[in-house]
Amino acid sequence: MDLSQWIAPFEKVTGDYYAYAREAAERGRKVAGYMCSYAPQELLYAAGYLPVRILGRIGETNRADELLQAFSCSFARSVLDSALEGEWPFLSLVMFSHTCDTMQNVADLWRAHTPGTEVLIVSVPSRTDSEAAVRYYTAELERIRKALEKQCGPIPDEKINEALSLYREHREAMRELYGLHAANPGRLTGAQMMHVNLAAFLMDRAEHLEGVRNLIAAFNAAGAQEPDGRPRVFVAGSMCRHTAFIEFMEAAGCRVVGDDLCVGSRSYAFADADGDTPLEAIARAYLARTPCPAFHHSTRQPGDALVEAVRRDKAQGVIFLLTSFCDPAAFDHVPMTQALEKAGIPALTLSVEQHREPPEQLRTRVAAFVEMLQGSATP
Amino acid sequence: MSGDRLYAGVDVGSATAKAVWINSAGETLGSSVIPSGGNLADAATRCLRLAAERAGCAPDAAACIVATGYGRERVPERSRAVTEITCHARGARALFSEARCVIDIGGQDSKAIALDDQGRVLRFEMNDKCAAGTGRFLEVMAHLLEIDLDDLSRRALAGTSPVAISSTCTVFAESEVISHLAQNQPVDDIVAGLCRSIASRVYGLVSRARLTPPAIMTGGVARNQGVVKAMEALLGSPIHVPESPQTVGAYGAALIARDDNASS
Repeated sequence: MDLSQWIAPFEKVTGDYYAYAREAAERGRKVAGYMCSYAPQELLYAAGYLPVRILGRIGETNRADELLQAFSCSFARSVLDSALEGEWPFLSLVMFSHTCDTMQNVADLWRAHTPGTEVLIVSVPSRTDSEAAVRYYTAELERIRKALEKQCGPIPDEKINEALSLYREHREAMRELYGLHAANPGRLTGAQMMHVNLAAFLMDRAEHLEGVRNLIAAFNAAGAQEPDGRPRVFVAGSMCRHTAFIEFMEAAGCRVVGDDLCVGSRSYAFADADGDTPLEAIARAYLARTPCPAFHHSTRQPGDALVEAVRRDKAQGVIFLLTSFCDPAAFDHVPMTQALEKAGIPALTLSVEQHREPPEQLRTRVAAFVEMLQGSATP
Repeated sequence: MSGDRLYAGVDVGSATAKAVWINSAGETLGSSVIPSGGNLADAATRCLRLAAERAGCAPDAAACIVATGYGRERVPERSRAVTEITCHARGARALFSEARCVIDIGGQDSKAIALDDQGRVLRFEMNDKCAAGTGRFLEVMAHLLEIDLDDLSRRALAGTSPVAISSTCTVFAESEVISHLAQNQPVDDIVAGLCRSIASRVYGLVSRARLTPPAIMTGGVARNQGVVKAMEALLGSPIHVPESPQTVGAYGAALIARDDNASS
């Protein structure tokens, strides 16, 4: 059974990156842009905003290149370039998280070069596993709440609780979809899964949830998919704005069965938490996540969760989509590859520019990696 | 050749296209190397035909043809395309059964491939997108120094005190060579320095892929003894260079064609 008709609503949204948000703004809804999955989307949603994740544009970044050094990552360049090109005129505010110095500076440049748009910076504690971190992040969320209330009026606790429930249900649905995909690779392509993921950052969460539930129902109705023997590959890294990266991997003959991307499963791999206030609940839930490379946990090693996820999805190899010049990701990449090697899981690292088409030589590397996995499968 | 099945491999690289015809025993019957030029499909066809002619067989006599190299998807005659990593590993191991690693320096790419005890690919690294540490680097320098590419090898070995070339970028290295010329350094020493520079650049890939000897070197640059000697010094171990290092990928592709045919 072909599931394309259930994917079509997501592809329609990702096909024109700005249309959904622009139309919402035209209907009178406030739209808030955010950069990072540690920005409190529930709070934005509770305040009545349509939260939209800004992932930059595919194409040249000439305007941003005038302002950023050559060693800034392609994500920062493309995000800033989209602002400088005036592609977000309908945003009421933009929310940055303090993930790295580059993005901190992009926030300042955004403020300086797009007058009229409010720029908020959320300071997420970089060490995540302490009560002090919870207190700090809760206080930070209080500050953000007050800043939002200036723009949109009071945000009652019950609205925040409603948003928390909706986002929790959405995470559960996405985890279920990921589970179905890993168990039946080929029913959906990895690129189709990426369209579902990217659409989640653009659409109203309730509408996206409905689409995901329809997709899950169709998936279940379709029954089990016979495995086709293609090597099962897991994609690690952070960004993947351009689905071409997943498409060219699968064109090389593998199945992308799972991911540890910040635009993918990492956004859904955490549970709700209790707190004395809804904001503390947000803080506790976010800080209990497996930290992304910009944040740290004192005992959990980068790589442990990755090995676990690769084994869960029964992947034979891992491809890293490492954004060139992303220092935090490069630091974590070392223990991650060591953990994979210790676990006997082959890995390939591709250093990529997020906003460009994958160059030909990367295709050769991925195809050779897939051939290597096929070779290791034969006795 | 009565009744014996024939197989061919064609490796369409950035600089040259290579073709090898083999029999079912894996013996090379004929091979050819021609410039790739602007039309990769045409180069592949001409190259396969020339090798067939040299093998003394009809151009359509192959039971199976495997294409490799960056133009692999453009080869009209292919039964399938296999990457040059796998083909070089296959060909290298067949020519040198002890090999545990392959160092391939081609026109545009260099590769370091680690093999397991069965000859399967264990890990590999490829150069980044620029021409540093590739055959193209030597071509640019040979042109600048007005030395025939095939003569570089002899000149490098004649160099007694290689000059230091510190730029990895081909364009910057070119200006470095010009300064050495301006300082009246002997050309042989400059050539030796250039070979050393390529070897040390590729040695970065060798270290990253954690290669261990015995090593075999393939690709057109392996014909240059200056580079081979410099690489041996870095590796601290002798390197096996096959008789025709340029056609190892095509030979590996032909062997894979034979394996495919046997298993189908």
